[in-house]
Amino acid sequence: MISRRKALHTGAGLAALATVGAPSILHAQTKTLKITTWGGKWGEIMKATVLPAFEKEFKCTVSADQAFPFLPKLQVSSKNDPIYDVLHTNSNEQWNAVTEGLVMDKITAKEVPNVADLYPYAVSDKIVGVTIFTSAIGLGFRTDKGLTKPTSWKDLADPKLAGSRGGYLIPVNSLGQAHLMMLGKVYGKGLTDLDAAYKALEALKPIKLVDFTGQMEKMLLSAEVSMGVIHDSGVYRYEGPNMQPVDFASPSEGVLALEQVLNVTPGSKVKELAFAYIDYMLRPDVQKMLAEAVWYSPANKKVKLEAKYDAKLLTTPEKVATLIQPDWKWYNARREDIDARVTKILKG
Amino acid sequence: MTTAARPSPIAWLIAPAALLFVLFFVLPFGVMTAMSFYSGNPVTNPNAFLTTRHYERFIFDTAGIFHEALWSTLRIGLITTVISLLIGYPLAHWMARMQSRLGHALVLMAVIAPMLTGIVVRTFAWMTILQDKGVINTTLMQWGVIEKPLPLMYNEFGTIVALVHIYVPFMVLTLTGVIGRIDERLEQAARSLGAGRLRAFVEVTLPLSLPGILAGSLLVFALSISAYVTPSLMGGTDVLTLPMLIAQQVGTSFNPNFAGALGVILLLVSLTIVVAYNRILARLAGGQGMA
Repeated sequence: MISRRKALHTGAGLAALATVGAPSILHAQTKTLKITTWGGKWGEIMKATVLPAFEKEFKCTVSADQAFPFLPKLQVSSKNDPIYDVLHTNSNEQWNAVTEGLVMDKITAKEVPNVADLYPYAVSDKIVGVTIFTSAIGLGFRTDKGLTKPTSWKDLADPKLAGSRGGYLIPVNSLGQAHLMMLGKVYGKGLTDLDAAYKALEALKPIKLVDFTGQMEKMLLSAEVSMGVIHDSGVYRYEGPNMQPVDFASPSEGVLALEQVLNVTPGSKVKELAFAYIDYMLRPDVQKMLAEAVWYSPANKKVKLEAKYDAKLLTTPEKVATLIQPDWKWYNARREDIDARVTKILKG
Repeated sequence: MTTAARPSPIAWLIAPAALLFVLFFVLPFGVMTAMSFYSGNPVTNPNAFLTTRHYERFIFDTAGIFHEALWSTLRIGLITTVISLLIGYPLAHWMARMQSRLGHALVLMAVIAPMLTGIVVRTFAWMTILQDKGVINTTLMQWGVIEKPLPLMYNEFGTIVALVHIYVPFMVLTLTGVIGRIDERLEQAARSLGAGRLRAFVEVTLPLSLPGILAGSLLVFALSISAYVTPSLMGGTDVLTLPMLIAQQVGTSFNPNFAGALGVILLLVSLTIVVAYNRILARLAGGQGMA
């Protein structure tokens, strides 16, 4: 027979156990969304504002990986229990991922209602997943070197710029890859005219090549290069107190799209939450906040930016029409040959 | 009646190191080697099949860049090692023979100080010195010595300069310990028997310091051929090494299988060179094995 004292002790013990265990039980019930996201200013805003607000509204926790590259990690994780629920990369990596069945093919307004308000480029046939922002790849240049503002991609080949023009190590940088395709369009029959592109690339030598855009920014800021291929946000961010003698030019042949793409992994256990996150990132207020923080052009047509951002970013159908989207599926299929060829061209 | 043999206490002491070696070298290397013989990732892709195509791709090198990358890797490694030895040996000898404890401590601090800064920071520092608008070129142009910037960066020269700066401390620290243990009286005895300073050094000190030369050289060579950050930042388009190709295959071409094959090839070639180097030094030292 259980005595009253023993019953009270047992009851108190169970109550204590419940109190101690409650947070972990609650935690077990809270869904966790695993995403990838950029670092830098973007990452700061995501961690300080965007993600906490999302967690509060959807009663979940978000685990954000900022350690690039993401795709190799996704490649080695189980397809049924992937390391990420939402993959944020540029467009060409998404094409690699979809080829291996690591991300979904398309995301429509059925899963993500805000997709209905996007510019067509954001969900075009050149996109796997959905574009949330884009940058324009054009020419950055020093304004203190007596250069006239470039109007064409051909201006980069000006002999005066020998040794002070900048580009990218094409095998490792998507801006370099996109620029190579643009050379095919400007000097040949189109984006896929590789022979014309190779010839034009040869003519750009001597050229200083870097492997990531941050390094190109530094080269422009230190005047190590006077003109180089870069995305608009990489130049516009040095405004205000950070003002530097650099500017961005959109060549008349068009600017290349550098899309920020979100996609969902097919094996995600929290797919609905993943779609809700993408929908959240496409909300006009979230788009406005991030666009004005990092100078990205929002993909949502309904976003109204402050005048100074509106003047420079791609915020109207006319401006968006200047965007050229490379066919990354086509490019990735030829990647090994292209890498070998450009390495030989640019060596020496 | 027999009793079960108990492992010696030494075995228990070695066990953590052995475990680390197995966990962080043998196991990853085994996985990498296995992956290099598959068409894809056999864990996540049921259609992945066994193949030798990654090795064939390297051996036949239709792209025309892989053999050059291997040669470039080894060339940079060898030159960096030789220069580090030439700079490091006199410094290590001086440190080892230094009588003043304070002087020794100060020089040791000077040698170690660069190691307190990250490789990326040190490489960027070299970039600000060697680039076209860097300290050297700007100064020489201001003085009217040169009209155009000297090509100090984005080539093998800049890469080797930065690598030597990074790896000389490894050479010095390895050599100092070995030279410090050589009995000075041996050199003094040689000199008292009529040998000049140079001959006493060449015939006594140098052979006795060969184990240090071997260890320091192997350390610097191994670090140089596996360097990624410095060749990437300092080499531009002129330098393409196997570690750069491996990073490219994993990070941007998303082909870990070919990256695995390149890793295995790099290790095999390096081991061959190390064994050959060991044998040559052993012969020079009078037939004794060095490692």
